[in-house]
Amino acid sequence: MGLVTPLLSLLRALVYVFLLAPIVVVVLASLNAGNFLTFPPQGLSLRWFWTFLNNDVFIDAIVYSLILAALATAVSLVLGTMAALYFVRHARREAEAVRIAVLLPLILPEILTAIALLFFFYEIGIGTQYKIALFTGHVLMTLPFVFLNVTTSLQGRDDAVELAARTLGASRLTAFRRITLPLIAPGMATGGVFAFIISFDTFGISFILKGTGSAPLPIQLYDYLRFNFTPEAAAVSTVSILLTLVLVTVSNMLFGRD
Amino acid sequence: MTEVSLLSLVKSYGKSTALKGISLDVGHGEFVSLLGPSGCGKSTTLKCIAGFEDVTDGKILFDSKDISRKLPEDRDIGMVFQSYALFPHMTVARNLAFGLEMRRMARSEIADRVARAMDMVQLTPYADRYPKALSGGQQQRVALARALVIEPAILLLDEPLANLDAKLRDEMRGFIRDLQKRVGITTIYVTHDQNEAMTMSDRVVVMFDGEIAQAAPPEDVYDRPASERVARFVGNANILDLAVADQADAETSLSLPGGGRLAVTGGADAPVSRLRVMARPEQIALTGPGEGHIDGRIAKRYFSGGHVEYHVDTDCGTLNVLCPTTQNVAEGANVGLSFDTRRLWPLPGAAHVTAEPAA
Repeated sequence: MGLVTPLLSLLRALVYVFLLAPIVVVVLASLNAGNFLTFPPQGLSLRWFWTFLNNDVFIDAIVYSLILAALATAVSLVLGTMAALYFVRHARREAEAVRIAVLLPLILPEILTAIALLFFFYEIGIGTQYKIALFTGHVLMTLPFVFLNVTTSLQGRDDAVELAARTLGASRLTAFRRITLPLIAPGMATGGVFAFIISFDTFGISFILKGTGSAPLPIQLYDYLRFNFTPEAAAVSTVSILLTLVLVTVSNMLFGRD
Repeated sequence: MTEVSLLSLVKSYGKSTALKGISLDVGHGEFVSLLGPSGCGKSTTLKCIAGFEDVTDGKILFDSKDISRKLPEDRDIGMVFQSYALFPHMTVARNLAFGLEMRRMARSEIADRVARAMDMVQLTPYADRYPKALSGGQQQRVALARALVIEPAILLLDEPLANLDAKLRDEMRGFIRDLQKRVGITTIYVTHDQNEAMTMSDRVVVMFDGEIAQAAPPEDVYDRPASERVARFVGNANILDLAVADQADAETSLSLPGGGRLAVTGGADAPVSRLRVMARPEQIALTGPGEGHIDGRIAKRYFSGGHVEYHVDTDCGTLNVLCPTTQNVAEGANVGLSFDTRRLWPLPGAAHVTAEPAA
């Protein structure tokens, strides 16, 4: 009895250390004044952030990743919410099939989804042209997160509320907009944030499907680190950590769980 | 006030048929209950009237206008759901205003009507509360007010009291009935609870297996059930299967085991050899042995406060007898049973056996 509580506290502290230490190391490394990616940093400086901001390759990659994540999230939100509504309202075998199909990319190794898509898009003659394969991959990767969060916010909700709105004179669309949508908005927001973050830093899918031309940030970082080992990479990572942090904070403020 | 007519309503789901041709007229301002066990089609009927389900065949008329193809939002109905279905993200006042907003009513008019509706269900102090901050009974009243504030043509209630505890349920029964009478709205009420149906309704519609078994005022359904199944569903029923001794125009004389005779009014139109008659537990009185119609022995005695219920073993089977507590007999005692012959009800329908044709 007397020992369990301190042991649990220790365990919790260790979990936090394991989760947060790499982030702290990256952030500190990005403030390194030296020429190489080392830890502990040799003097403090923001010079690598400056270098990064003047490096078009990275700026392009960040912008590219942000746009890709935004578009993938938007499409995932629509498709994932539709799938979740279907699944919750039709507790039948078809609904179960939809659920499994949507969750498959989460269950399969990312690399398998990527290779399957690559084969598929070459088979239909598109290959990695026009970024269609990459975009499809990102939507598939992010869909489960929207689906799961919206499903959770729908389950335990009373199906009759939308019908009640109908009897009060609301059309199907109005009932959805005024009643169902506000009730699932927190789930959509959480799912959307997850989707955005997943798309923003997924590696396998992007690596296999990116094709030629500009690449998402994680791929660009990987390319860079193969030939250079400067704190600029850490600076890029720090910026992307900050972006994620801002996104989560803002969405929590807007759609905080009730 | 609107008259509702269901004309041979049929609802099929693939191969199974939930409604097998329901026909029913509900008059202006009438309170009609659809009563039956689960799966009897009462909820399906209500869903068809509300427009949540398409009818497979047949028509639904509101004031002689066919509305069976209209969308729920175009039917002008007010509905109270078993789960209340209040909008959790809106306050009580906003919940009530929703239907009026959908009718594009002016802001001041909405505020007026909402205030009046809240007063009607005594919820004015709770206007700015969210549904989850209300008790079950209060939520129920909000649901009722929300359905009525739009002044719909008809009011539909789907087991609205099923989620309340017993005491509150009794209170709400009276509250709903009073409100319905005051507003004078045509009301269709779905329930599986025969007490609820009988205390509240002008007319009870008993349904089994997608068909109407009987549609009649509560007294008729209770005293003169259309079949043995109805008799057993609405309250306790003692069914006596007796041989016919003599059959006159308006009266049938039945032979009792032990040699006695029992005269019942009515009976079968055609000559029959046996007749099944129903006696409610409170229509049988305990007497001394040999003083009643038949004799029996008290098998069980249950005291329930206002009444005592006896299970009496007789030659006609075990009969249920309900007595005032002033009449107290111990288990195992020998008693006589006397029937209230004016209220004995010969069961019509398939239950009786036709007499052998005279040779």
